[in-house]
Amino acid sequence: MASKSKITKYTGKPAKVLQSEPAIVIEWPRSLAHRHTYGKLSPFFKGLTEGKLLATRCINPECVEHRLWLPPRADCPDCNQPMTWEELPQPVIGTVHTYARVEYAGAGIELTTPYFQVDVELPGVCTIFKGYLQYGTPEIGMKVKACFRTEDPTNTILDMYWIPLADDKAARF
Amino acid sequence: MIILKKGNLRIPKWNRKVFAVAGGLTNYKKFCPEMKLEEQVMVAFRQMLENNDLKISPAEIKGLVNFLACGNFSDHFQDQLLCEAKVTDYLGLDPMYDIGIKTGGATGGSTVLTAAMAIASGYADVALAVGWERMSEVDTRTGNYYIANAACKDFETRLSRIYAAYYAPMAVRFAWAYNLSEETRAKVAVKNHLYAYYSPYSQQPGKYTIQDVLNSPMSTYPLRFLECCAMTDGAACMLLCDEKTAYKLTDKPCELFIAGGSHTLRVADRRDMEIPLLPHETPDMYKGLRKKEGQRWPGFESFAAARFAAYFAYRMAGVTNPLEELDLVELHDAFTISDIQTYGDIGLRPYGQEPDYIESGDAYFGGKCPSNLSGGLIGTMHAVGATGIFQGIECLWQIQGKYNKFHGDPKIWESFGKKKPKDWKSLQVPNAKQAAWVSHAGVGSHVTVGILRKAF
Repeated sequence: MASKSKITKYTGKPAKVLQSEPAIVIEWPRSLAHRHTYGKLSPFFKGLTEGKLLATRCINPECVEHRLWLPPRADCPDCNQPMTWEELPQPVIGTVHTYARVEYAGAGIELTTPYFQVDVELPGVCTIFKGYLQYGTPEIGMKVKACFRTEDPTNTILDMYWIPLADDKAARF
Repeated sequence: MIILKKGNLRIPKWNRKVFAVAGGLTNYKKFCPEMKLEEQVMVAFRQMLENNDLKISPAEIKGLVNFLACGNFSDHFQDQLLCEAKVTDYLGLDPMYDIGIKTGGATGGSTVLTAAMAIASGYADVALAVGWERMSEVDTRTGNYYIANAACKDFETRLSRIYAAYYAPMAVRFAWAYNLSEETRAKVAVKNHLYAYYSPYSQQPGKYTIQDVLNSPMSTYPLRFLECCAMTDGAACMLLCDEKTAYKLTDKPCELFIAGGSHTLRVADRRDMEIPLLPHETPDMYKGLRKKEGQRWPGFESFAAARFAAYFAYRMAGVTNPLEELDLVELHDAFTISDIQTYGDIGLRPYGQEPDYIESGDAYFGGKCPSNLSGGLIGTMHAVGATGIFQGIECLWQIQGKYNKFHGDPKIWESFGKKKPKDWKSLQVPNAKQAAWVSHAGVGSHVTVGILRKAF
């Protein structure tokens, strides 16, 4: 016979009723932390924290694409062979291909709004690299310089950002 | 560079003809607490079975179905895995096999494609394409973040956490490259909100002016809220059959063709490539297209996935000139800009001249090839998994001459707790014979183009 101490007890927290009409709607809490790997792209994210912008290149002589990839990929989509890492020479100067001003951002946004997202062309790179402009107003064709959040890094893509080249005296030659 | 070879460009072919015979929709709204998702699917399923003038009883039709393609975009939103099984059971279609389909915003199109492949291959004589989305389980900003997980998680998501911010750079670039004004973009929003005004199913109907659109709050510059679709709860069902069964079920079957294209999720990675030409295009047309510095195709201006879907679907269906041969289109206007970009991809205008499709009047009711008479995504709905099915159904009803039946009946309005407007007008395209619809995902990562043709 089951003893009283073996009675199954409710140990949860009662669901909050958000509304009762026209139907019962309850709150269903979700709080999860995923484990996400940067995999073979780990050198890129480590590089950002060290103030380096790393791209990949396919060195297979038979491949049709020999330009750099940024965002990097560990493997070439054209010939499926592993690519090699290459650091972009500093200062990294790019050209604004297009931009957008984010005013209404989704939950969890880590940047103060409004801010400018910029898509940047880089010499020798076959892709167009998305980032954000720390200050200033972008326009298509504007030159921008890459900066890095080496102190107190976020360990995410937000560890790099762009600034207008015209405002950066140090970068003027 | 992507280099396409003969096998890549093989035109898809059905082993036997595929037909669409019936469709069902729901009331589309941002938050539908009065019904659970499977209960909402039942609303669409009943309309499909009971109100499409089918010649045999709902019970008999159910006795013919032996395959379901079930579209729903996000497990995050509904927080219920394997809800395909719940839906199939709830509709009373157990133990027929159902396959869950997920291709973002193009889920509905992919669902119809999957059901069509079941018919074309002989797996099934009657298949159900059913789709739904329940986006109201979370608040809007959390919903925006969930959807932004359909951008590249490592390199894009954290840069905005809202999808408008992945289309907005395209709007800026397109305006610069092809001379698109904010007013033309606003006209798309005005048109589609207005057409939604005549639909009992619509979520965001409204009689707006261009100025209203331009004055509406900014989501991500340059896209305003009135230029964007909203979060939707809703469902849609479409019934597909082989030729013999189609004529047994209805006097008004439509032959179906559908094909898709995909492209890298990150717009950034879309390298310049040769433009695959539609049947009515010539290589000379695009000689001067990349005239500005840094220009590439498809780049930020166009969608290779949409171009490929059209490339295949037009040839499958024998469409040689879309603007001349399509009586209407339903396009994926999740944002005004994505609507406009698609005009070039599917050949309503040559690339670079997309704004003229709106400015010429061709896109309007009464025009040469009106678009989104349903109200589209901006005006009527974007219950993601259902959207590409809803668009196809609106095309089907137009060709069947049933726009008024399904939009003008006061009882449908009342069943949704709405009142048919006194100034309601019919958007039935006279004598519509052929229509196309575009189902689109992920800043152009997946696109299907479906074509329905009158077969009665």
